[in-house]
Amino acid sequence: MKRLILSLAFLVSVAAAATPAFAQQSGGLRVDFQGPGGHSSGAYGRVSALHAAARAVILIQKALPAGSYQITNLTGGNSVNSIASDGLIEIKLTAANAAAYQALVAAVTKAAADGAAAENAFRGVKPGDLTSGAPATVRSFVKPS
Amino acid sequence: MPATIPPPVAAAAEKIANDPQIAALLKDQSTDAAAKARWNQFLELVRIPSPSRQENLKAAEIHRRLVAEWGFSPSEVMTRADGVIEASDTNIVDGLPVYNACVVIKGSYSGRADAVNYKGQFPKVLVEGHIDVVNPEELPKTGDPSIRIKLQPYAQPVVATPEELAAIPDELSFDARGRVVENDKYATASKVFANAKDAEANGGVRIYVPGYGDMMPSTSNAFVLAAAMKKHNIKPVYDIWICGTAGEEGKGNLAGMKQLYGFDQKAGTGSNPLNFVANFGLEGGGTVNFLGSYRFEMKFKAPLPRGGGATGPSAPEAMAAAIARISDVKTPSELRDGAPRTTYTVGRASCEPPPAGRTVAPSCSLEVDMRSPRKETLDEIRNNIEPMFQAGASAENARYGRKDGSPEGITLELMWYGLRPAFVADNVDNVAVHAGLQSGIQLGVLTSPMVGAGSGSLNDNVPANTGIPTYQFTLASSAAGAGGHAFWEWGTRGAPATEVARMHRVLTAALIVSGFHAADGTVVPPAVGPLGKRTREVAR
Repeated sequence: MKRLILSLAFLVSVAAAATPAFAQQSGGLRVDFQGPGGHSSGAYGRVSALHAAARAVILIQKALPAGSYQITNLTGGNSVNSIASDGLIEIKLTAANAAAYQALVAAVTKAAADGAAAENAFRGVKPGDLTSGAPATVRSFVKPS
Repeated sequence: MPATIPPPVAAAAEKIANDPQIAALLKDQSTDAAAKARWNQFLELVRIPSPSRQENLKAAEIHRRLVAEWGFSPSEVMTRADGVIEASDTNIVDGLPVYNACVVIKGSYSGRADAVNYKGQFPKVLVEGHIDVVNPEELPKTGDPSIRIKLQPYAQPVVATPEELAAIPDELSFDARGRVVENDKYATASKVFANAKDAEANGGVRIYVPGYGDMMPSTSNAFVLAAAMKKHNIKPVYDIWICGTAGEEGKGNLAGMKQLYGFDQKAGTGSNPLNFVANFGLEGGGTVNFLGSYRFEMKFKAPLPRGGGATGPSAPEAMAAAIARISDVKTPSELRDGAPRTTYTVGRASCEPPPAGRTVAPSCSLEVDMRSPRKETLDEIRNNIEPMFQAGASAENARYGRKDGSPEGITLELMWYGLRPAFVADNVDNVAVHAGLQSGIQLGVLTSPMVGAGSGSLNDNVPANTGIPTYQFTLASSAAGAGGHAFWEWGTRGAPATEVARMHRVLTAALIVSGFHAADGTVVPPAVGPLGKRTREVAR
């Protein structure tokens, strides 16, 4: 009987592996943030892509179930005395199936956009604004890694 | 705040500014050929990457040109390729060599029988501009390190991403010797304009290159001035050192100035081992107050992963928690009317890559910058931000029920601490300010001896806090520019005549302080005594 149960479990697992919609799915995302950057003092008041990325990480914590993600990298900026023009979150996601995985991707995408929006709101800039001719807002971009 | 210019300084300014030797130098620099040579030199130097504390490539090229092209003998080059200045007591700063590039215009003073020195060092005047730039972040490990100089018509919008910048098709070309190729792109980039409106209307281009605004045009022209002084045999009384300095940007911690002034960050004292009597910076206009700053690099270290793939506190998320808290800080000047302008940013963050086969980042580090012209407000922002490092770690530990400070929790480590002491000039009656103001009055740039109340965070923090009088000029001429410290830093060429006028002023001011052998055989005496100030005796 025990052997039969194990055999059935094996067959189920093989079937699940051949059917992506029901398979556990994992993958990585690269979440980029782009802002204008500038001198830390001379351009003070501009948005920071790194600050936006950090805000997004906190939103990811709130939006995604524990164990469904792992942040493997958070980086950005080029020097201590510059407002960061770039930010990057690298994240690995694990879901029970493809649909759940896409839900995680959507949640990360929303968190990234909301993190950028929070940084823009804190510094009082909106899409279309310019600073010295360059886009004044921080923007987020999500793609598979 | 007004300064009171002593009559001898006013007389010296008039004498020097109108001296035939100075006039000959300026006439020489006013030709089209000289303007072109200055422009080409700038383009050729600015493309050499020079991250803070990795300025060796640019310093080496300046050293090479000083001897091979600018007319100096090796003995007049005061800095070595390995970063050593033999008479300094501070040749290693923050554990690294210092890649300044300095040349001396020899004065007559040391030949006098009654010459006074400080431990073998005769008096000197320093004229300096920094050679480091915030982009790129580090020297490339392989391949041609040179920066591509991109050209974009004004009709197109300023680039929004590094990818857009890289995709611009037009760029300047350089030959194998690093000389700019004078092709059609060069001709376009070399057009001179009065301002951005003029450039936009008449075919100007944005010239994208890190350092265009901060501050290679001015530093490059300092060496043009040095070579011109040598060529025209301009003879000061005290020595004049002209330096391209290292470590002004990023984590440079003012390393170049600390070497020159023997400044000990921990003690907050400078030994002034080379015996400078006055300092002239080339990064701004008339600044005499200097912002203080605190800078921290904090590392968030993750606990060793438990077996079986169990999750635990994450270094990236702990750091994110800290940065997110800092991101919501309002500074004193944002909270209270009348408070000194105070700023901060988390300028850089990075994480150690997970070891092969793992997904846990062992550690992450952030770098934060805080600035204010007054110690009180600088301390206020520090006292607000500094606890947020631990708050981030604690929040991440709490998510997993881990105790702060335990081996199973995120731990914090201070990796680097930077300090630029604030300096507020309570009295502006000193020789550098007098010479700086009077040179401007003499040449019609200023109408009164007034010093502005503004502050900058500049190399001058070090001499100012060592007791050395200092004043700021610029030798650059740009029609327009923006994007300083960002990937889209750009400028457009301004009038060469402005550069020559600014050289006239800097030369006049430096010679007022150093003293000057005039063409008529008379000597304008130095405006200050031969012993520079210091806040610590030199260890030599």
